[in-house]
Amino acid sequence: MATFRLQGSKVLAVDMTGDTVKAKNGSMVAYDGQMAFKKMTGGGEGLRGMVTRRLTGEQMTVMEVKGQGTCWFADRASEISLVHLRGETLYVESSNLLCTDAGLRTGTTFTGLRGASQGNGLFTTTVEGSGQAAIMSDGPAVVLRVTPQYPLSVDPGAYIAHQGDLRQDFQSGVTFRTFLGEGGGEAFQIRFEGDGLVYVQPSERNTVGGDV
Amino acid sequence: MPFREVNSRVVEAVIAPGQKMFSQRGAMLAYRGEVSFTPNVQGGQGGVMSMIGRRVANEATPLMTVEGDGTVMFGHGGHHIQVIQLSGDTLYVEADRLLAFDGTLTQGTMFMGSQGGVMGMVRGQVTGQGLFTTTLKGHGAVAVMAHGGVIELPVTPGRAVHVDPQAYVAHHGDVRNKLSTALGWRDMVGRGSGEAFQLELSGSGAVYVQASEEKL
Repeated sequence: MATFRLQGSKVLAVDMTGDTVKAKNGSMVAYDGQMAFKKMTGGGEGLRGMVTRRLTGEQMTVMEVKGQGTCWFADRASEISLVHLRGETLYVESSNLLCTDAGLRTGTTFTGLRGASQGNGLFTTTVEGSGQAAIMSDGPAVVLRVTPQYPLSVDPGAYIAHQGDLRQDFQSGVTFRTFLGEGGGEAFQIRFEGDGLVYVQPSERNTVGGDV
Repeated sequence: MPFREVNSRVVEAVIAPGQKMFSQRGAMLAYRGEVSFTPNVQGGQGGVMSMIGRRVANEATPLMTVEGDGTVMFGHGGHHIQVIQLSGDTLYVEADRLLAFDGTLTQGTMFMGSQGGVMGMVRGQVTGQGLFTTTLKGHGAVAVMAHGGVIELPVTPGRAVHVDPQAYVAHHGDVRNKLSTALGWRDMVGRGSGEAFQLELSGSGAVYVQASEEKL
């Protein structure tokens, strides 16, 4: 299996011995040995997946990298975190996904109102199976543990991914004050309950929630 | 060792009397002691001929001479800075990535076509770097800028390194570089992987790669 390691916090090195990984299109910065790059249509989920992706707006251009040697990936100087999956599902925005083991299945899932407040649409990408994935964030990501006793509320603009057995709930603190322009600036949150991990970046995307 | 890394985006240089440094104009952040900054009309050293060479080659990033007795901090545009130590070998770097370098180093310009022939020239066009690159030779330190962090990859005989032209920062040592293409029919119909062009570096030395595909 391909080995993922971080070289610094912004460059991912993948050591390969004839195996395959899936990576964001154009994210290779260097390689040694022999590598072949092939674009996969519609995020590597076949025709049905492609249609779903088109419809859901969770567009992802992915390439298949096969080879022998080391391949280095990076994207716009984003910070990279490694996620180990053991038969679990990782939920991540397609724009935050850098690279996955080819053995992992990717798909699309409905997120409900959360996505709309994030400005990311109503759908998110899922990565399922056993292996490694690399996710990107603006600034070093913080991994927060959620247990049944300790639920967590996250700013939609700072959320990047989650894994484990978690329920997510959209919370809105919109009151009449918000409409008067007296809001606290934190009108929307996503609340996670259950057992799992949430990845949060120290930066906020522009969201509808940030303005109210 | 004239450069001390203050953090990833700021370096400090010690200037001793009788010693000279060159830096990109406007890259001084702060200084202590008696230091003077003179704009360098010639854009470096090597006299008038070298100046004309650089003008023609469009490698004429404005430089200034830094002299005196004290310490100077350099930084520019919030870019990451990598200090490269040269011991008699040659560093190849784009002029606009040069932040500061030791005055003892010899600056020159190299025509890309002289390495790799026509492909060398194509390379300049593909990467948006033009037909010429700046060389620095001798014993001393150079501070170069990059977007995001920089990793250093060794190039050894029999183990060539391929680099995305946009992520390439600089290289040194006895290294040949050529543009390799993997243009297939997929690229023609717009289904390419986005990795159609690579720089192949072979020989022995090192190549510096930035964690981003953005130009400075």
